[in-house]
Amino acid sequence: MPTYKLTCFNVRGRAELIRLLFAAGEIPYEDVRIEWDKWPELKPISDTPMGQIPTLEVDGQVICQSMAIARFVAGKAGLLGKTNMDQARADMLLDGGMDVGKLFTEMVMEKDASKKAEKKKEFGEKHLPPFLALYEGFAGDNGHFVGDSLTWSDIGFFNMMDFITAEYPGALDGYCKLNKVIDNVKSNPGVAKWLKERPVTNH
Amino acid sequence: MAPRYKLTYFDVRARGEPTRLLFAAAGVEYEDVRITFDQWPAHKDSTPMGVLPILEVDGITLSQSMSIARFIARETGMDGKTRLERAQADAFVDELEELIPKMAGVVVFPKDKKDKEEKSKELDKLIAERLGKCEKLSGSDGHLVGNSLLWCDLVLFNIAHNIEEAYKAGTMQDYPKLTKVCDTVKANPRIAKWMTERPAGQFDF
Repeated sequence: MPTYKLTCFNVRGRAELIRLLFAAGEIPYEDVRIEWDKWPELKPISDTPMGQIPTLEVDGQVICQSMAIARFVAGKAGLLGKTNMDQARADMLLDGGMDVGKLFTEMVMEKDASKKAEKKKEFGEKHLPPFLALYEGFAGDNGHFVGDSLTWSDIGFFNMMDFITAEYPGALDGYCKLNKVIDNVKSNPGVAKWLKERPVTNH
Repeated sequence: MAPRYKLTYFDVRARGEPTRLLFAAAGVEYEDVRITFDQWPAHKDSTPMGVLPILEVDGITLSQSMSIARFIARETGMDGKTRLERAQADAFVDELEELIPKMAGVVVFPKDKKDKEEKSKELDKLIAERLGKCEKLSGSDGHLVGNSLLWCDLVLFNIAHNIEEAYKAGTMQDYPKLTKVCDTVKANPRIAKWMTERPAGQFDF
């Protein structure tokens, strides 16, 4: 049985999708968390292929890039999608989500208070509603984006909305199918357990 | 009989070319639909996410350029031999992908001379950063990952070609392993044939 070691900062951030996928797949792994202030001294000596984290070590081989790692773990957990086409649809929905996720992250990380307030308004009014309307259209009545079972695109959507609803609490009100997707993810036994146990962090 | 795959994109290389290179390398027929920027507004609402490229296959429309490329890579066996290879290929693509839109901002769409100069400075930094990382991790025998042509090699080749031909010739000489990957791609007979036949495009990008 392979051993997995995930290394990331002590945040949910870019690693949380990976952690959720390990949880959903009930795959044991070492969840190594580095504090921000320790990274400068660790970075030169760390075995990171591209000098950045997260990284996943699999039996001595190191993979980098959070989405490449997530896709790898989703594959191991049987959550990629059943056919090539299903896998492509899952990829496409995750890519589309990341475009919006990027804008959201920019808003959250904005240090200037008045610029942040402006960005928050713009995101909430201009970017979020069309995204949710589009994805409500993509979601099946069964609460899955692809096929008839849980895939990593459901989990990716849940993870992103977990961050977004912290800033926009009522964002998902009225989106029946999207709420069903969220419920499906939350009720996966591995995910439910992780959500109860995971360390609480600001990001 | 119509080809099974229909790719629709602008009449440029940019985000659509990796998929075209994959079809070429695999010898798979497809419909290569190119629309002009003027035609785009009329098409936009009929696409899943309001962006191009799209790929239509078996009644389904896929969106997002790298998802489409990965799908065709899987269909044609060029995504990687093991899960680990596929993850490594994905990582290279993720690292390189941003160079296309950033280059477009300098080569195709700069607002004015000042904008072009500022964006060129940022692009130079990004190229050095991303190609530097890829050079470090690349295989030494003419492939980024493993020992066969994979889609990540084609993604790199497309970007390197644009850097050399449309942006700053001579850049790639700082990256010998990556240059070897590009040479391997260029020497592939089907790719070489495609390069002599492919349309020039509305922009050389």
